[in-house]
Amino acid sequence: MTETILLGAVAYDPKVVTIWEGIRDYFNESGTPLDFALFSNYERQVESLLAGHIDVAWNTPLAHVRVKQRTRGASLSLGMRDSDRDFHAKIVVRKDAGIAALQDLHGKRLAVGSRDSTQARILPLHFLRQEGVDLDRVRIVPFDTDLGKHGDTGTSELDVLRALDDGRADAGTVGDLVWVQEQAAGHVDAARIEVLYTTPGFDHCMFDALPAISPAKREGFVRSLFAMRWDDPAHRRLLELEGLHEWMPPREEGYESLIAALAAEPALAAAG
Amino acid sequence: MAAGAIAVDGGDLPLGGGLLSLVRPALTLLEPDGVLAILSRSSSVSEDLPSWCRAERHEYLGAEAAGDGATRHLVRPGRFSVQRTAEPPDAPPPERADAATGFAPHGSVVEPGGPRYPFDLLERDRVTAPEVAELYEQAVAAQWSAARDIPWGTIPRHEPALELAIRQVMSFLAENELSALYVPSRFIARLHPAYVGVAMFLATQMQDESRHIDVFLRRAHATGSPAAISSATTSRSLHSLLQIDDFTEASFLLSVLGEGTFLDLLAFVERFAPDEATAELAKRARIDEARHVHFGMAHVRHALAHDETLYPRLEAAVRRRAATLSGIGGVPAPVQDALTIYAAGASDPRRVARGHDAFRELLVAMNDGRIRGLRSAGFTAEQAATISDLHTPNFM
Repeated sequence: MTETILLGAVAYDPKVVTIWEGIRDYFNESGTPLDFALFSNYERQVESLLAGHIDVAWNTPLAHVRVKQRTRGASLSLGMRDSDRDFHAKIVVRKDAGIAALQDLHGKRLAVGSRDSTQARILPLHFLRQEGVDLDRVRIVPFDTDLGKHGDTGTSELDVLRALDDGRADAGTVGDLVWVQEQAAGHVDAARIEVLYTTPGFDHCMFDALPAISPAKREGFVRSLFAMRWDDPAHRRLLELEGLHEWMPPREEGYESLIAALAAEPALAAAG
Repeated sequence: MAAGAIAVDGGDLPLGGGLLSLVRPALTLLEPDGVLAILSRSSSVSEDLPSWCRAERHEYLGAEAAGDGATRHLVRPGRFSVQRTAEPPDAPPPERADAATGFAPHGSVVEPGGPRYPFDLLERDRVTAPEVAELYEQAVAAQWSAARDIPWGTIPRHEPALELAIRQVMSFLAENELSALYVPSRFIARLHPAYVGVAMFLATQMQDESRHIDVFLRRAHATGSPAAISSATTSRSLHSLLQIDDFTEASFLLSVLGEGTFLDLLAFVERFAPDEATAELAKRARIDEARHVHFGMAHVRHALAHDETLYPRLEAAVRRRAATLSGIGGVPAPVQDALTIYAAGASDPRRVARGHDAFRELLVAMNDGRIRGLRSAGFTAEQAATISDLHTPNFM
């Protein structure tokens, strides 16, 4: 009898229950006993993983990097979504704001997402700094909604777009997924708002485990996870809800820019 | 036809300002490894198109200057993209349908990953027949109105015994037609939409039955007589019809045997009709019922040609139903009495004797009609005689 894997996920939306009940049922049917525990924020989830209370944590990039750092690189990365690879952030601007280049942001109002959102705050500001923008000369308009959820809800990104639309900001930072989804849905007035700059790519969420996880649990988890298929009706519903087409093997190089950004902000790196 | 390469001119449309409505359809027209070239004069497209491709798992191959300030972007559809195929509009329905295609019209490209639908009538040669489309056209062309097409105003008052007989006969007809409305409805929801022609024909049949119920009850209520009796025999017979789960068995018992028998009954009602309105509604109902019998015969004949095990199954279904009805003497007494007085046209004893003879002739005609129908469906003379004998004394 295989032991039950206890997976942690953060309840950033009611659909999280639907997703993990569906995945739990599928895992159990496919011979990998699994149950899940929901946390209200990633800080508590990371501590629970480090304390050994859960076997696997479904982590944001910020939580993933913290786990890696707290375990001195020993933690195991088990898998990620295809949509987690090569994520980008966008600097979007009002066309009437007179911003033609990144240097024009000086003196302008820049709407940014939650301070723990990798795609809507941490990395776009990091890359702006690298591009030579002096953030002390930019008027930051922060939307610190849903703190602890690390930007999962997307609420702060929608706040940024709204602020741009109604003129409370001249420019803003959003993740590329929210940006193209809002455009594809016809929610963005393309005559007024456009992209000024796309950041280099970075990677997003990851399933993390401690090295102490039993081989049976680790192998069972990976086997069932990667057997999910887009064209299987039972799986597809869950994959759509979780925002992916297929699960991908882990890779670490996509987190280097985040590690560098956190090195410049020790308070954020150590949060929790 | 799927193309290896397609070019679209996006002008200065931004991605979220209409460009996707050109890009998305063009991608679906490509061969799986084809390439879409998008000519664009919008600078934001260079930022947005790669992000959109990432989100949709399409492959952004890059951009090149196209002169005059325009850029040509190249995109290959990703492996989760659904590609359109050139399906001829008159492609025949598949031999076996896939329950996961749901309500997608036959010939559509169905995106994978949709739910399985609870359809379980999935085999073409068990549900359909070559004549179905023609019968559907006939049915649509032959619709009539219960309110407008029967000369209701011409109904005279008859003697009380005949009025009571008319009421009983009409109520009995309506009761049986109710079963003929409900039985097909059970199968429509189980029929795979690849065979929607059958569902559409059954819908016309249900519309016919609704109209028949309407005219029979109007005629019953026009008598002003005391209520008709619904006998337990009729109820048990129709109940057994409603419990059949196999479409072909139900079609055989309802349409070939039941409605086939009703053709003779309706001819009888027309022949001895006491007034023009009653003759007209019986004639019109009989013409509709003949179409239902035709469908049932076509369905059963086609199924028999494709399934050797069907003969014994149909005979067994008739025997099972007869077993559940065992102990029933004959035609329900209220129906037999009403048909006798109806044919007599009066309660005068000499005329009742003639009515009684007419009723006996009706039973013979019904039996002969069933045997003819069964022979035509492909049963041997012996099988036909056995099955006809086992048929319900309730007629349907």
